[in-house]
Amino acid sequence: MSEHDHPHSPPLETQDAGSQALAEALRSSFVIVKIAMAALLVIIFAAGFFTVGPQEKAVILRFGKPLGEGQNMLLGAGLHWSLPYPIDEVVRIPITEIQKVSSTIGWYLTSPEMELAGTEPPAGPSLNPQIDGYVVTADRNIIHTRATVSYHIEDPRTAIFNFASGTNHQFNLTGVSNALQNAVNNALILTAARFNVDDILTRDIAGFQDAVRERVIELSEREHLGVAIDADGVQVQSIAPRQLKAAFDQVTTARQNREKLLNDATGDASRILSQAGASAASITNAAESARTRFVTGIASDAEAFTKLLPNYESNPNLFAQMELSKAMTQVLTNVEDKIFLPQRADGKPRELRLMLNREPPQPKSAANP
Amino acid sequence: MKKNLITIVIAAVLVVIFALLLFTFQVRQSEVAVLTTFGKPAANNIDQPNLYFKWPWPIQQVYRFDQRTQIFEDKFSENLTADGTMLLTSVYVGWKISDAKEFFPKFAGGSVAAAQRQLEQMLRSAKAAVIGANNLSDFVNSDPAQLKLEAIENEIKTRVQAELASNNYGISIEFLGIKKLGLPESVTQTVFDRMKSERNKYISEAQFKGEAEATKIRSAAERQAADVLANAQADATRIEGEGVAEAAKTLSVFQQNPELAIFQLQLAALKNSLNQKSTLIFDERTPPFSLFQNLPANAGTK
Repeated sequence: MSEHDHPHSPPLETQDAGSQALAEALRSSFVIVKIAMAALLVIIFAAGFFTVGPQEKAVILRFGKPLGEGQNMLLGAGLHWSLPYPIDEVVRIPITEIQKVSSTIGWYLTSPEMELAGTEPPAGPSLNPQIDGYVVTADRNIIHTRATVSYHIEDPRTAIFNFASGTNHQFNLTGVSNALQNAVNNALILTAARFNVDDILTRDIAGFQDAVRERVIELSEREHLGVAIDADGVQVQSIAPRQLKAAFDQVTTARQNREKLLNDATGDASRILSQAGASAASITNAAESARTRFVTGIASDAEAFTKLLPNYESNPNLFAQMELSKAMTQVLTNVEDKIFLPQRADGKPRELRLMLNREPPQPKSAANP
Repeated sequence: MKKNLITIVIAAVLVVIFALLLFTFQVRQSEVAVLTTFGKPAANNIDQPNLYFKWPWPIQQVYRFDQRTQIFEDKFSENLTADGTMLLTSVYVGWKISDAKEFFPKFAGGSVAAAQRQLEQMLRSAKAAVIGANNLSDFVNSDPAQLKLEAIENEIKTRVQAELASNNYGISIEFLGIKKLGLPESVTQTVFDRMKSERNKYISEAQFKGEAEATKIRSAAERQAADVLANAQADATRIEGEGVAEAAKTLSVFQQNPELAIFQLQLAALKNSLNQKSTLIFDERTPPFSLFQNLPANAGTK
């Protein structure tokens, strides 16, 4: 610019050369300042843009106060814009979709890798509380138990701005997850302290898990953590100490055997009872039919009697003789041996010898011809 | 002139920005600030997020503290319960700076580490006192009414809170809970021995009780079956008796002529008794063989 102005300067010889140079310098520097200012404005405006990645959320603090309420406070992945620094400040919070904490204060020393590879350190004769975690049950048994809790941030203002981990003014969810983890630790200890060992391990596994869950929820509400535990978000796993695994397994087997014995006995009992019921029914049925037979027999006899009575009364002797003859005919057809023994002419009684011996073998057998 | 106006505006903006930087400060949502004038803290903490004015350094100076709750976990400490059991406990404490102007002169430069050391010391004595006043059955108990773990936690918390308040440390305890509860290592072995003998007891119990109960169930069923059969027999007898009683009503019919009735019965008896496999010996006096002796004399009258 200054080179461009030079051709016009020579006519103004009368002016002080010094002041002219100063004026020119000022003019040119103002132009530079103007350009710089414009550039600065553009930079300030452009600097207001910021991106949020997929593994994080952002909060804009205007004069230190977060903008927006509840979930609206959190800016998701994408491009956003804020006012320049002294007014707005962008705070980034690392946050993943799934929030999870696990408590291992009740578990022996291990890691997921060791568990998978099966290279867990072997169980010693005792447990050093500094190394191996455990919980004490209501009946003063020692067992291992651990829990995983999945949750989501319900109130970002509380979770981010009320809990810290360390004092470096960083914003993250470590503080709140730390608090929740300790709530889970506490829930395991307190719940185990009022459950008996067999309830935790076998009889009431679900009840123990529910009780832990209730306690975690109660603590997270009481401590105002701003998180909500997911439905089915509490998973508890409990085992007997490895040192006593065999003994605990044997009890389980013995109890199963006992169940089997009892089931068998119950089956036998119901079989015995149903058999008895059937026999009883057949006894009473037989009695019923005998009764019917008897009553109807008598009734038919009576009927026959009523019919025969007039005949009999008209000539009792003849009737009796006729009936007897009819009967004799029938009898004589059925009788196997008939022996006619007429009276001796001299009127003396005859002598009969009766050979009584055992009945001959039954001729019914097929082998016997 | 126009150029001058722009210049003035730009200059003014620059001055304002510079002045803002020099004369104001911000307090964030998570922070509490203490403003000192020539080193003397102001009477009030600045704990609401906003933009505030101050005189530039060296007149006034701002000290910021994180007022968020932090978790502090102490180390295992061994304490005897009232009934003489050695218990190892570790607690977690949610604490925060509640009064920054009191807090920062007491701990060098507002050092959190120094504050936590102080806290740990208080926790140690509070735990010793509270655990020593309770029995083991207050720590583990299947009866919820007798389990006092929560009361124990509250007691420790109250004690520490009271000590913090009396020393005016500017720290408040938000919550406190037991994080770990253990027994000395040597004790775990005796616990294991006891557990093992308990298991063995359960094993033999399950075996013997199972057999005994099974026998009980079977014999009960057998007794019940015998009852059922006996009842059935009784019923049968009753039913037959009813039959006899019912038949007795028809007896009046036979009373019209007992001779005929008896004759009929005898006839039936005769038929039944000589039904099969019988040998009959008779002489000429037995009808119809009486025919052999004498034919009816008055045959002609027929």
